[in-house]
Amino acid sequence: MSFIGRALAILRKDLQAEWRTKERLSPMVFFTLLVLLVFNFSFELGGAALREIGPGVLWSSYVFASLLGLGRSFADEHENDALDALLLAPGDHGAIYLGKMVGNLVFLLAIELLSLHFFALFFNLSLGFFLVPLLAVFVLGSACLASVGTLFAAMSNNMRLRELLLPLLLLPMIMPALISCVAATKIVLANGHFTELLPHMQMLGVYAVVFTVLSLMLFEYAIEE
Amino acid sequence: MRSTLVSYVLFAAMLIALAAVFLWVPTEKEMGIIQRIFYFHVPSAMSAFLAFFLVFIGSIQYLRTREEKWDRLALSAAELGVMFGLIVLITGPLWAKPVWGVYWRWEPRLTSMLITFTIYVAYLMVRDYGAQASQAPRLGAVMGILAFANVPLVYYAVDLWSADQQLHPPRNVGLEPTMEYAKWICYATFFLLLFHLVAQRMELARIESAVVRLRQKLDDA
Repeated sequence: MSFIGRALAILRKDLQAEWRTKERLSPMVFFTLLVLLVFNFSFELGGAALREIGPGVLWSSYVFASLLGLGRSFADEHENDALDALLLAPGDHGAIYLGKMVGNLVFLLAIELLSLHFFALFFNLSLGFFLVPLLAVFVLGSACLASVGTLFAAMSNNMRLRELLLPLLLLPMIMPALISCVAATKIVLANGHFTELLPHMQMLGVYAVVFTVLSLMLFEYAIEE
Repeated sequence: MRSTLVSYVLFAAMLIALAAVFLWVPTEKEMGIIQRIFYFHVPSAMSAFLAFFLVFIGSIQYLRTREEKWDRLALSAAELGVMFGLIVLITGPLWAKPVWGVYWRWEPRLTSMLITFTIYVAYLMVRDYGAQASQAPRLGAVMGILAFANVPLVYYAVDLWSADQQLHPPRNVGLEPTMEYAKWICYATFFLLLFHLVAQRMELARIESAVVRLRQKLDDA
């Protein structure tokens, strides 16, 4: 099987398992809803403040949800020693990373799009017009999260205190991407001009590419027993 | 023997640097005496970045060669980078209070340093609390490479985020010649201090792992 073929096989397996159990998707969407509630009561989100802090609230809830979801992405493989079997398969282990990373990207996007409806509903936001640029921000932002997130999930999977360590590893590393995600979302919701949006999109694109490539190279070392 | 010699040279360099900073350079016109913290603040920042670069080199070399000495370099440099970063984060607000009126502003250079600092604190925590002894060097090396790749991105993103709040002077601010000399003396002293401490810390790490090996041998016997 080619590199891409093996990555696709992993991706299909993960999506299929998730489709049958929905054990990551439903808790994560519900968790995002709960975080939105917490933020609502912390900040009284309705009204004028929404456009200022709404994007930050949205991305904070996505980041927290992704910490939960990413942590699970290798835990399932760990439980039945399935990871050992995956690692026995011939060829570059980068394919495992790529398949898992795209799978995580799909999960994150699904959660973001599903919970965006709560956000729009609760805070009386009509999304129609913003949806296309917002989707672009979501795709790039989730790619950033999934790129380092998948590698760190694989790394922390073998560690003691893994639930504690994944956020410690991931949060400082994704800070530059988070800054640009929030700024870009703010510009989109404020109906800002494309030229304002561009530097942030470039930043997210560069981040996603740099860390996907680096993670592909380093995955071998992160996973070896 | 060599390290004792370096200690004496370092001690002399520190005395010279202190004399240069407190006796030789003129007091800055607008900020007054507080500006002299510059001679500690800026070299500390440079030393921190140099240390992070050493973490990067040590990490790459460890993954290539699997020789323990490279891991010791990465670990020692990370600890010292965090220490010098902490000095920057302490001297920065001390300098800011009289000049900007507050200890902390979410100003780009300060914010970037804070984020970079947290990345390397996370690196140390993962090595200390998470990884088993056998995997710590390998996972640390992966993290050390990613962390260094992130530093320019942190600076770029934070600049985008708050470009209008930039309060630090541009990079090549024209200094009075004696100030320029004093700055270079301080750079040299700080770099020497960094290298000396890294060497000491590496030696300590070598002894630590030798003790662990001896103890294992005793247990096995």
